[in-house]
Amino acid sequence: MYGRWILLFALGVIAVLMASPLILTVFTSLKPSTELVNPAWYPPLSVTFEHYVRVWTDGGFSRYFFNTLLISVIDAAVMIVIASLAAYAMVFIEFRGKLALQILFLIGLMIPVTAIVLPLFQIVRSFGLLNTHFGVILADLALAVSVFVFMFTSYFVGVPKALHEAARIDGATEFQIYRRVIMPIAMPAVVTTALLEFLWSWNDLLLRLLLLTQDEMRTLSVGLLNFQGTMTRDVTGLSSGTVIMAIPVVILFLFFQRHFVRGMTAGAVK
Amino acid sequence: MFLDPDSKWAHRLNPVLFLLPALTIYIVFAIYPTISVIEYSFTSWDGISPDREYVGLANYTRLFTDKIFWEAFRNTFVWSGVIIVINVGLGLVIAAMLARVWKARLLIQTCIVLPVVISPMAVATIWRWMYQPSGVINQMLETIGLGGLATPWLGSPEIVLYALALAHSWSTIGLSVIIFLAGLQAVDEDLYEAAKVDGATPVQAFRYVTLPALRPVTAVVFILTLTQSFKVFDLVWATTKGGPIRFSEILSTYMYKRGALENQYGYGSAIGVSLLVIVSAATILYMQIQNREDR
Repeated sequence: MYGRWILLFALGVIAVLMASPLILTVFTSLKPSTELVNPAWYPPLSVTFEHYVRVWTDGGFSRYFFNTLLISVIDAAVMIVIASLAAYAMVFIEFRGKLALQILFLIGLMIPVTAIVLPLFQIVRSFGLLNTHFGVILADLALAVSVFVFMFTSYFVGVPKALHEAARIDGATEFQIYRRVIMPIAMPAVVTTALLEFLWSWNDLLLRLLLLTQDEMRTLSVGLLNFQGTMTRDVTGLSSGTVIMAIPVVILFLFFQRHFVRGMTAGAVK
Repeated sequence: MFLDPDSKWAHRLNPVLFLLPALTIYIVFAIYPTISVIEYSFTSWDGISPDREYVGLANYTRLFTDKIFWEAFRNTFVWSGVIIVINVGLGLVIAAMLARVWKARLLIQTCIVLPVVISPMAVATIWRWMYQPSGVINQMLETIGLGGLATPWLGSPEIVLYALALAHSWSTIGLSVIIFLAGLQAVDEDLYEAAKVDGATPVQAFRYVTLPALRPVTAVVFILTLTQSFKVFDLVWATTKGGPIRFSEILSTYMYKRGALENQYGYGSAIGVSLLVIVSAATILYMQIQNREDR
């Protein structure tokens, strides 16, 4: 069975090619400046963390990191609440105009963020929220909420209606049913939402570029962009900054690969 | 929420209370800007002055005669085309290979999918560095004796768009592979057995069994890749800003320059609307195909 081995070998080559840009970046970030004359695929002969320290402290990446973390965590947490509440109403509560609402949320799946950033900037400004994390969070939530409303909706539809009925007969309010009965069994949807919204929020550049202009408010994406603009030749600094930005999501991905894969295929329209 | 569950008011109020947070944020920061971008596109607003003047279709007639817009338009389609060829073609091949392998499958799959979670900004930094005249790619070419092919990848007019498309594909092909893999797992194993009995080679089996069975999934990946690539801004902005000159200018970067940097809000919005129309049309198509598949 040579065929199997040829196949495995070809896939191995593809895997190495796919992984190499990341591996080379890590290599460079760990090299002492004297080793930069070596070809990029040489592993560092002696490992140094000085570039990380430099970028983290002088480069301002510690602030960028915690700004990014703050926005992403709040984004993910609030998204779980608002999207699941809305989806709960769409599935379990009878009211008029449900179809219209469904169509309204559907429109959200079709709006490319890129196309509406100009008026979005104006609205955030008119609320006095330019240069605030709150403004970015609101914009993030608005632009992704429909994806997650549909994600929760499709999960809730699979929950037996009898469960909801039984709780109603026991005299529970809708909110109690939501809290005590439905949400505890919706954990897979909660995890997917948290991971995906965190990821999108962590990675975005455009909205942050537009809405955060003061350096102390900036996120990793904008910080890295500016660093790249001013320190074009600082290869080790740039690669350290890139690794700092990539590491949290890479770790999350390695731990929750299956959730990510499911979420990304479901939320792929965004 | 705190009302007697059986009262008439509770019935009226419940859906409102549950929907209010999501709906308010969504309408104010997503629906309203979408309506606004259309409205802006009929004005000559500069984004600052308190009053805006309506100019009818002037921005759109200007679009039609704007050579840079058409260049950006053409570039966006070329860019999308290249990415579709790689993500659909190569994505399908990789998925088909991966489906036949058990050893080390998770490891290989992880290497292929991992770039999907990397921020476009980080992707931009990595590839800008690799594409440098003295960067890894040229170093590699020289080492294997192909130094003649070495070139400043992002600085050369004919190559820059393709070079960037390759970087984008690197960071997105994992998603196509996953979707194709899911599709492949749904193909009936008996069909392969039957093909084998009939003496089909693996390539023939792929051609006559796998491909026809995967047609709907292929359509999904196709349109998904199309819409995703049309929306790209971050990667291009963080590498070339549309340059050199206009050779990697796409609709989103052109809109950003006119609208956000030059304060031509009306005209920038007209470019935004063109993007909105193309992406929405493609997304509607995508959802219809998905619907048909679900049934």
